[in-house]
Amino acid sequence: MVAVERDFTLPSVDGAPVSLSALLAQGCPLVLLFVHADCPTSLLALRRLASLGEGAALVCVAEESPEVAARLARRTGFSRPVLAEAAPYAVSRRFEVATVPTALLVDRDGAVVETVVGWDTTAYERLFGVELGGEPRQKPGCVARGLHEEGPGGLDELEDMLDRGWSDGLPVVPPTPERVEATLGGRDPGHSLGPVPPAHGEATLERVAACAVLAGCRPAYFPVVVAAVEAALEPVFNAHGIAVTTQPAGPILVVNGPAREQLGLNSGMGALGPGFRANATIGRALRLVLTLTGGARPGALDRATLGHPGKLACCFAENEEASFWPPLHVERGFAADASTVTLVAGDAPLSISDHRSRTPEELAATLAWAAAGQWSPFWWPMDDTSLFVICPEHAALFAEAGWDKERLRAAMFEAVVRPAAELRRGETPPLVQAAADELPVHKWTSAEKIQLVVAGGEAGRFSAVFGPCDGMKTEPVTKEIQWST
Amino acid sequence: MEYVSPIDERVREPVAFAPRPAALAGKRVALLDITKARGAEFLDRVERRLHEHGAETFRIAKETFSKPASPDVIEEIALRGDLTVEGLAD
Repeated sequence: MVAVERDFTLPSVDGAPVSLSALLAQGCPLVLLFVHADCPTSLLALRRLASLGEGAALVCVAEESPEVAARLARRTGFSRPVLAEAAPYAVSRRFEVATVPTALLVDRDGAVVETVVGWDTTAYERLFGVELGGEPRQKPGCVARGLHEEGPGGLDELEDMLDRGWSDGLPVVPPTPERVEATLGGRDPGHSLGPVPPAHGEATLERVAACAVLAGCRPAYFPVVVAAVEAALEPVFNAHGIAVTTQPAGPILVVNGPAREQLGLNSGMGALGPGFRANATIGRALRLVLTLTGGARPGALDRATLGHPGKLACCFAENEEASFWPPLHVERGFAADASTVTLVAGDAPLSISDHRSRTPEELAATLAWAAAGQWSPFWWPMDDTSLFVICPEHAALFAEAGWDKERLRAAMFEAVVRPAAELRRGETPPLVQAAADELPVHKWTSAEKIQLVVAGGEAGRFSAVFGPCDGMKTEPVTKEIQWST
Repeated sequence: MEYVSPIDERVREPVAFAPRPAALAGKRVALLDITKARGAEFLDRVERRLHEHGAETFRIAKETFSKPASPDVIEEIALRGDLTVEGLAD
């Protein structure tokens, strides 16, 4: 084999490493086509060149990770070999590719004998000796990644993570083998928790640990993340529907038991807000497992019309100490000293202010009526869970009155009821459309659809309710956190 | 720099589409209702048009729109039908 100038080896999208010298040994001259997925002209070039036969001496170099490069080829119908060049784009830089698409005609020694920049139908027809036709005849290209994404100090590791798409849009912690190993804590990296919908990537513990690292978790949080993923993968949670729906649905994690104090999970002041690493990163880790391992990328398989900010991360602990009710995990059949994660699917929280009610009946009505407009003001009844987060001062009022959860649920359920005729406006279910005018319709199909947990600071009378994922047929799932490896 | 990927990088072979029939006459068409609002109205109209083209039809529904079709539903479509039209609705 002749020594090839500027030889390189890159992974092809089917995983095998391919060198320029090996390609040239199969046939030359050869056209190297540099592209990336964010460039419309690159997509145009791949689509137009997809019609070239198997005999065309054409190889695409995508400035992308292998999985993005593979998707690019599928989307465009491009069936010639595709090589993936992730950051820092050394090959692009070595060939001085400033624009994509760029086609380089390379001779048997690896020397560039002709360059086509952007899309130029005439030039490509000459390169391949075929009629390509079609419009537009010409289109300017885009800035190549290799040119603009490496600064003088070398590639920024955090930028690299975002280039790979290993993010929710915010900077992440790079999952180095050392960090992932520390997070795994001796667990079997190949052990799978199961395929994650919607794209069914296997949630091996190694990948889950990589997501925990990316999210910023301390290794000590990992058992909670694992329990959350296990809960999400229970069929009754319907992670598939929640991932791909146009609803703004996302998982809400509620942690109970000793894990709260051991890990510094906030259940008190600002429990639903920012500022606490365990809350923020555990919630974020689950989101990254669903997005990266499961493939639920916003705007792609995640079809949410709006989404909501809590889809970045939504994890809090129950303030068991401020509640006289049995905590959520005990209510759901676990021992009081067990640590658990409960997953509930919901949309954005709505704050409920009530500083004036002095009886449990009044406060129950305030809480329930706040939720009456959820999903849609006239969409009654709802058949999925509304998760109420009761603040300690509100909880204390019910405690003083001796109301247990069942009594409060029943009062809330009974408070929100209207005759069918009043609800026939805008979006109304068929049941209400067909009902007699005076038929009483409740906001929920049963009191059991009202879930109650206590969280928040000791001062202030602000509770909240997470809206339901109506029609999603999702049920809350609780998993015990397993500390041992 | 070496990193541990959070992504299942295995490349999966795309599933090829079944060959397209040249004509609808005599074909059995499954009309899949995913149970979303007004999907049935859409399928009613499609069904009339299919009958005009000489196709036979049969109706089948998913248990819920929010979950993938069960293996039973998919199997019935595969056994009884040559073609499927799905009503996504809304």
